[in-house]
Amino acid sequence: MSASPLPDPTLEITRPFFEGAARRELRIPRCRACGVLVWYPRPRCPACDADALAWNTLSGRGTVFSFAVVRRALWKPFADRVPYATGLVALEEDRDVRLVTTFVHCSPEELAIDQPVRAVFEPLRFGDGPEVVVPLFAPLA
Amino acid sequence: MAEMTGPDADWGSARELDDVSHRVAIVGVGEADHTRASGRSADAIALQAVERALQDCGLEPADVDGLMTSGGLDDQLTAEQFHAHFGTRHDLWISGEGGGMAWAATAPYRAAQALAGGDANVVINTFAVAWASQRDAMRGGPGEFHAREPFKAQLELPFGWFPQPVYFATIARRHMHEYGTSPHHLGAIAVACRRHANSHPGAVMRNKPLTLDEYLARPMLVDPLRVEDCCLISDGGAAYVMTCPERARDLRKPPVWVSGIGEGRSEAGTYWSQQRNFTSTPQVFSAPAAFRMAGIEPEDVDVLTLYDPFTIVALMQIEDMGFCPKGEGGSFVVGDHLHFDGGGLPFNTHGGLLSHAYVLGISHVVEVVRQLRGEAACQVAGARVGVYGGYTGHLASTLVLEGDA
Ligand SMILES: [Zn+2]
Repeated sequence: MSASPLPDPTLEITRPFFEGAARRELRIPRCRACGVLVWYPRPRCPACDADALAWNTLSGRGTVFSFAVVRRALWKPFADRVPYATGLVALEEDRDVRLVTTFVHCSPEELAIDQPVRAVFEPLRFGDGPEVVVPLFAPLA
Repeated sequence: MAEMTGPDADWGSARELDDVSHRVAIVGVGEADHTRASGRSADAIALQAVERALQDCGLEPADVDGLMTSGGLDDQLTAEQFHAHFGTRHDLWISGEGGGMAWAATAPYRAAQALAGGDANVVINTFAVAWASQRDAMRGGPGEFHAREPFKAQLELPFGWFPQPVYFATIARRHMHEYGTSPHHLGAIAVACRRHANSHPGAVMRNKPLTLDEYLARPMLVDPLRVEDCCLISDGGAAYVMTCPERARDLRKPPVWVSGIGEGRSEAGTYWSQQRNFTSTPQVFSAPAAFRMAGIEPEDVDVLTLYDPFTIVALMQIEDMGFCPKGEGGSFVVGDHLHFDGGGLPFNTHGGLLSHAYVLGISHVVEVVRQLRGEAACQVAGARVGVYGGYTGHLASTLVLEGDA
């Protein structure tokens, strides 16, 4: 539990997501047969059962679906980051697709549900460990 | 309760269950001492609860031929520990489909099958945790389980969306946005549980009162949740004894009848972030099925206990079980409507996970049994129908119990 929560960008199930982030692209799998975005990634489309999924680059825009403001350290890796706002972004291309994120470049008090946000790509690191570039979300304005 | 149709219908489903109404009775209940960190082991706690449940119904350890525990945890009571403690050596039918959480409601379903099939005659279901004692080492406990899931590790934990208080604070904020739910509403749930715990001799928070004003003045832990919106971490456990109708009538206490059971599941699993209907629980699927088996309506329920790891989880289940329309939980719970003597819907009359003990729902069932026998600390006058609602990960469950008429 005290291990670093840094994602493993080489893990196959999410590799294109982190490869995209390293190129400042927000990438999500889309079904080639029926066109729906499929999140979390899985082998088959939950809408039409096709097994042809392709990772698409999206706009990176969305709205705040909901969030929590962590005011007291609950978990060691994030203890030095409180207060911070973490929660869900509803993507512009399909509001039913929600990404978990950290909201940045604003104070938690400035954040509101339905507020427009955009992806920013920043290195994530814990302690002296390695970095992985991830999409975080910031107010659009 | 409306039929599930339209866009919200397919985010989960109810499990098909055979009608087991009045095929099994709960005849004995017992609770271990519920404490903060105590240095006890989970099996020692479980054995204390089992001893007390057997004393309650007047059965001997040798009469017990079925043992149900939580198969998902590796430190629960085993047949070997049972025999070593009681000096017995007979065959025990064993099931891992029991214990606490959602299974505290569905264990009687599996027990009814075992009784009907001749696998066992007297089945005890027990659950115990020593998580307060294990806390520093972060061994066991709900956090460890969630951190192992691959999509959480890749797509949730790196963003600080962890542990459970963060999930449910996010859900609470969305519920507030959609329905106008407020901190006053969540506080009413915390205060009702605390008041009940203050009158319960076995409750961890028996000596700690809480008013709504005090609740509102407390700082945020994970905004919009305060510490008082979150369950305790404690050591403790409980057990209940089940048997068939014929045997149930001959024991020390009047039987309490299992009249309905339901189980519902969310297709999003334990990925709350991806649950389509974000501000609902699978009680939407579970409770109507259980009420149908029991032949009751929500308004027939005299006392309700709900798995309450967070106030918002209780609020959503109250709505999802049909005690009020969806979104109106906030105005439903205000004032003393949930208090045992408030004339509304008596709720978690032992104090729940919020103020009684974090024993994951098994004491909720014990409390309903005591209410229906008329022996609860915060007794609801004339309680005849009681319900426990469980909620664990992707599962919700509902147990309808009736007192002996
Ligand atoms: Zn498709």
